[in-house]
Amino acid sequence: MQSNLMNFITIDRRSTIAYNEQIKESLKALIVDQTFYYKTELPSYIRLAEFLNVDIKYIKTAYEQLIQERYIRKIDAERYEVAYFELTNYFFDRNVAIYDAIIALGLTPSIECVEKKVIKLSIEQQTYMGFVPNEKAKFFYLNRLYMGNHQPIMILENYLPMSVFPGIDQNFIGNEPLNAYLDEHYHLKAHLSHRITKAANLSSVLAKHLNERKNAASIRSTNRVYDKDKRLIDFGQSHAISSYYFQGLISKEDIANYYTSKI
Amino acid sequence: MDYIFVNKILKTPIYKQIATSITIAIEKGELLFNDKLPTEKEVCHTFTISPTVVKMAYDQLINEGRIKRIKGKGTYVTNRKNHRSPINEFYQIDRESNKLEKIVRQIILIDLIDDDFSAYRMLKLTKGENCFVCVRIIKENRNPILMQKIFLPEKHFPNIDISNLEKKTLFEVLQGKYTHSIDHLHNTFSSINATSDEALLLNIASDDAIYFVRTQLIGKQNQVLGYIANYFPGEFTEFEVMVHAV
Repeated sequence: MQSNLMNFITIDRRSTIAYNEQIKESLKALIVDQTFYYKTELPSYIRLAEFLNVDIKYIKTAYEQLIQERYIRKIDAERYEVAYFELTNYFFDRNVAIYDAIIALGLTPSIECVEKKVIKLSIEQQTYMGFVPNEKAKFFYLNRLYMGNHQPIMILENYLPMSVFPGIDQNFIGNEPLNAYLDEHYHLKAHLSHRITKAANLSSVLAKHLNERKNAASIRSTNRVYDKDKRLIDFGQSHAISSYYFQGLISKEDIANYYTSKI
Repeated sequence: MDYIFVNKILKTPIYKQIATSITIAIEKGELLFNDKLPTEKEVCHTFTISPTVVKMAYDQLINEGRIKRIKGKGTYVTNRKNHRSPINEFYQIDRESNKLEKIVRQIILIDLIDDDFSAYRMLKLTKGENCFVCVRIIKENRNPILMQKIFLPEKHFPNIDISNLEKKTLFEVLQGKYTHSIDHLHNTFSSINATSDEALLLNIASDDAIYFVRTQLIGKQNQVLGYIANYFPGEFTEFEVMVHAV
């Protein structure tokens, strides 16, 4: 780290807040607003302790807490770097494929196929997903990892009815963008996509794929895609890396509606 | 235990019927977080069924994470009602006219501060400028459904009576005098792991996922008028979007 960056870290000696807490919060704020951007090396314990003129134990505690909260990580025994970055999807509420959203982020997209197979689903599973339940129905199951610059961003599982997409298990390789493929080979386009998002803890399997720790908080999105005849053609569930976030504007009209519709 | 329903004439296995009735009671909000379930023995007696069947039902619910056994104490509900709302209406969660259940807003902290590392960056305030802070928890029945940290800078909201946030929604408090100056809300949605304090206030476990929504109140000149940090219990909150093809 350049020494002038250290000047941003401040403590208030008159404050009742513990030094380690102040150092932690100060660093966190600098990391979040990207004054200390991704992979910036932090000053060593000793240098920062000397600079702030505090006992080394406060710096150690602050760094340990920041590691726990995954703002920073260890490079080796004595060096630390910023681990935090934010990845914005500006297209969450628009009909844009993940692949294209990754390009819009300025990253090179790629898709890695983790698994593809033909499966059967129980009646309960089919009902939950929204398919018309049929004991004989077969589904093409796809589990794929979307990457930007070779780093995982999102893992997405899809369930596609074989009755709608006959032969897809034979012809779909696995690393091509799905929407474009369905349009080209089956002339089917998403007419409506119903998305439900929540925050969930990652299972160990998902965490491993996404390069995260088990239980890391992740945005889970469940998508049901309907064609123009209102037929469910794709059920998907995605989990994103913990740095992922998306934005949404609420317009003045929405706020005005809030008042006018009030009883 | 009147929420359990068994029909022995049906082909559906009895353990499934029991598990389903309890699930429905949780989803409807009849059974709340931390409510105690009848003991397996009590269920056996009431419905004259074998203990294995009841055990199977409870085991299924434990596997699904809806209930848990605490040794020597009994079986308790861990799950709670899911809240689903359209994504552009998330800030209306404490609006009473939308809900059947009673909403309680509980303020746990009111303060006037002159610095906060994270919030002042969102607010574009500098250290030394005064800002009202209110931390409140919104509960439906006994379940916390949202914790909010509301930051309203004194320069934009002079003389605002922030304690009104206990009786009213944020926009009701801002209505009239202030709302005309708010142009839109800028929101970022992300997920974070709960710290122990956040978990305690939201009645979830430490490290559980939180749906974290940061809202900036933006004025006509694009200035940041206020900032709200919203903490929703992740497993129990869903936001919905309908995306139509263009």
